[in-house]
Amino acid sequence: MLKVKNLQKNFGNLRALDNVSLEVEGNSVVGLIGPNGSGKSTLFNVVSGFYEKDRGEIYFKGERIDGLTPDAIAKKGLCRTFQIAKAPEKFTVLENMLLAAERQVGENPFAALFARRRINPVEKKNVERAIELLEILQLIDLKNEYAGDLSGGQKKLLSLGRIFMRNPDMILLDEPTAGVNPTLTMQLIKVIRELQKKEHKSVLIIEHSMKVISSICDKVFVLNFGQVIAEGTPDEIQQNDKVLDAYLGCA
Amino acid sequence: MTIVNFIIYFMIMVGIYALLSMSLNFQVGYAGLINFGQVVFFCIGAYTSSLLATKTGLPLLFCFLSAMIVSGFFGYVMSIPTKSLKSDYWAIATLAAAEVIRLVALNEGWLTGGPFGVMSIPQPLQSLFSMENYPLFYLLLVAMCVVGVYFCLTLITDSPFGRDLKAIREEEDLCLSLGKNTRALKLQAMIVAGMVGGLAGALFAHYITYISPENFWPIETFLMWAMIIVGGRGNHAGAILGAALIQLFNVSTRFIGAYVALGSDSMASLRMIIIGLLIIIFVSYRPEGLIKEKKKVYHLRTSQEE
Amino acid sequence: MEISQIIVNSLIRASELSLLAIGLTMVFDILKFANFAHADYAVLGSFLTYSFNQGLGIPLLVAIVIAAILTGVFGIGIDKILFKRLRTMGVQPVSLMIVSMGVAIALRNILRLIWSSRTKTYHIAIKQPFEILGARITALQLEIIFAGLLSMVAFHLLLHRTTFGKALRAISDNRALASACAIDSEKMIKWMWFIASAYGVIGGTMIAMEHVLYPRLGFDILIPIFCAAILGGIGNPYGAMLGALILAFAENIALALDLKWLLNLGGLFHFESIQLNTGYKPAVSFVILIFVLLLKPTGILRKE
Repeated sequence: MLKVKNLQKNFGNLRALDNVSLEVEGNSVVGLIGPNGSGKSTLFNVVSGFYEKDRGEIYFKGERIDGLTPDAIAKKGLCRTFQIAKAPEKFTVLENMLLAAERQVGENPFAALFARRRINPVEKKNVERAIELLEILQLIDLKNEYAGDLSGGQKKLLSLGRIFMRNPDMILLDEPTAGVNPTLTMQLIKVIRELQKKEHKSVLIIEHSMKVISSICDKVFVLNFGQVIAEGTPDEIQQNDKVLDAYLGCA
Repeated sequence: MTIVNFIIYFMIMVGIYALLSMSLNFQVGYAGLINFGQVVFFCIGAYTSSLLATKTGLPLLFCFLSAMIVSGFFGYVMSIPTKSLKSDYWAIATLAAAEVIRLVALNEGWLTGGPFGVMSIPQPLQSLFSMENYPLFYLLLVAMCVVGVYFCLTLITDSPFGRDLKAIREEEDLCLSLGKNTRALKLQAMIVAGMVGGLAGALFAHYITYISPENFWPIETFLMWAMIIVGGRGNHAGAILGAALIQLFNVSTRFIGAYVALGSDSMASLRMIIIGLLIIIFVSYRPEGLIKEKKKVYHLRTSQEE
Repeated sequence: MEISQIIVNSLIRASELSLLAIGLTMVFDILKFANFAHADYAVLGSFLTYSFNQGLGIPLLVAIVIAAILTGVFGIGIDKILFKRLRTMGVQPVSLMIVSMGVAIALRNILRLIWSSRTKTYHIAIKQPFEILGARITALQLEIIFAGLLSMVAFHLLLHRTTFGKALRAISDNRALASACAIDSEKMIKWMWFIASAYGVIGGTMIAMEHVLYPRLGFDILIPIFCAAILGGIGNPYGAMLGALILAFAENIALALDLKWLLNLGGLFHFESIQLNTGYKPAVSFVILIFVLLLKPTGILRKE
């Protein structure tokens, strides 16, 4: 599904990504771990088109996507969440969900004026799907609240909901459980696994909690100082010397 | 001028500024485009329509439409740099662009009449009405345009397009990550805003029948800003209210000048000081303006109805 | 027009603009918003200088100093009452820009109310201008260039030899780090406003003395100083000086250029002299600004 080859990204003299190569198969959950500053978020930003690469190739579903704008990449079926969950403050939870729906009729002024009749049924369908998702996420009671009023954890759930609303083939999750209380974390993980299985998606997830990684990831890549230092199952990398070194060394 | 005539004049000007205000509000309050050169649409619309009308004999409906199209096109031009520029830089660029256009109007006399402007601009359907009734007709025309634009803009903002614009205003990166082509969306918003501004310009030119670069100083843009700041950003009714209030303020201070012992120059200064203060106070203490944005609430149908 | 005259005229204009551009670029860089009222602060100070000097007969340098101090205090005051409150509320820089626009409008018209919109000129004894290498220059203009150079050197010393300067550069580089190093940001910001406004007053007075003074002057020089600051690279005071120099040259050359050489296309056409209408002089800074913003908004010089 996603193939990253020899990716390099520099910030001035700092080499944030150094010859990074990794692969994510279809219908699987892959974890990406590493100490702070190892380049995980940078990798996400380059893959999703928010940063420009300096060298390397990125393939998604067989097509090259490096160099495309973020929205073009999203349209191809690769979506991401942000480390600090973003939500337009004055949008209600439901509106947030509707925002994410793909291929909406009426996303230009001409259609908005003249194609009203075609817009309404599509909107209705999107509302129904949004409600469905909100129920799974247990956010349904907040559907008419401003997103700005949600707690951090709820915003992360909302981010998840938006992504699933969009129905991409692959999702990049940037620390979805950071700052979320343990109960909600378990809920989040459950939802991710459920929806992923149900809709056969691929997920690449940045996480700090080994517990989370172990419970949902089929495979894990470990980054340190912008390089991939290990890959394997969660059990394998937990026993990998280089990995332990990296974490202990940076304790 | 009789009281009635003055009221009609006042309401026509409120209508014209309401269009400009709605246009600016659409850019600022919906798409988050901080446009400090809004007067340029007013200017281009007025000049396009009046020059076409006076130099060629084309029917006025065509001139009005051309004004809208040319202004809309200029909206497109102005939107091109939004991709690479941060909002404050873009704001400065729009201010500069508007001034350049005004200077062109001032200097290219062969085209625009230079400092003398365009005179004897024909008025639509003039022959059908007597001299006394014509202003009333024009008021009706302007009112119809205001209602029409209000209606159209509401349709546009209540659609997925409107939702996308509002989201761009607040979290552009999120929109990109959700596959929205924000550049194209902003472009479309600018074209619409340009067209509405151009319409206002044409209505103005054919009412006053004389325009010159003096009508299009940058201060006009900031009056429009005061209108949307006071009236309420992010909703069309607020834009209209703001236009009415600011115009009312402008006009009433002219009357006060007759009673208070201040020269007209001083009155003008005082007026602008208050406008400046209004901008400062509202942005600092009531940024939503007088009419706030409403929350969009969805109600599920009860199980009985299903 | 002689090249030497173009050079002289450009140096004068550059001196006037750079002092204003330096202050603007500092505020833009440190507080992250474009202060649309910056030029009007300078004009306020110029009016004060004018009244002190021409109205009360106070010697010019003393008048400038007093006016600069008063305007500096004014700049600090406006920041304290308006901008600081909004900053602590965490509003977007765009809102600060809009508020500064309101301040500009209000201030400009207060000046108009107090001093009326009639233009003011300094009564300076008219002496025979000097002739240097084919260019005419008056004593006043020489003084302006000299004062400009002196001010820029003073600013350089300020930036590199004083604790204030070091602190300012630290804040400019990394605000969070600077406060972690116990640099009192708030105090520095006050000093920054003071210096930005004071320098503005010097520049504004130069313009007032060499041309005329009127309330709208603030707006008329606003875009040129934005142009100079952005062209030179926001946050870099040397950039502001460079930008002012380039802009001044561009303005003078653009009008002196006879485009017919270009448009005749080597004999294909025969145009009579085609020159830019002098009415377009203000447009030069606008057009350059637009081009800079389109092509390289970071400007020529990087931040220090």
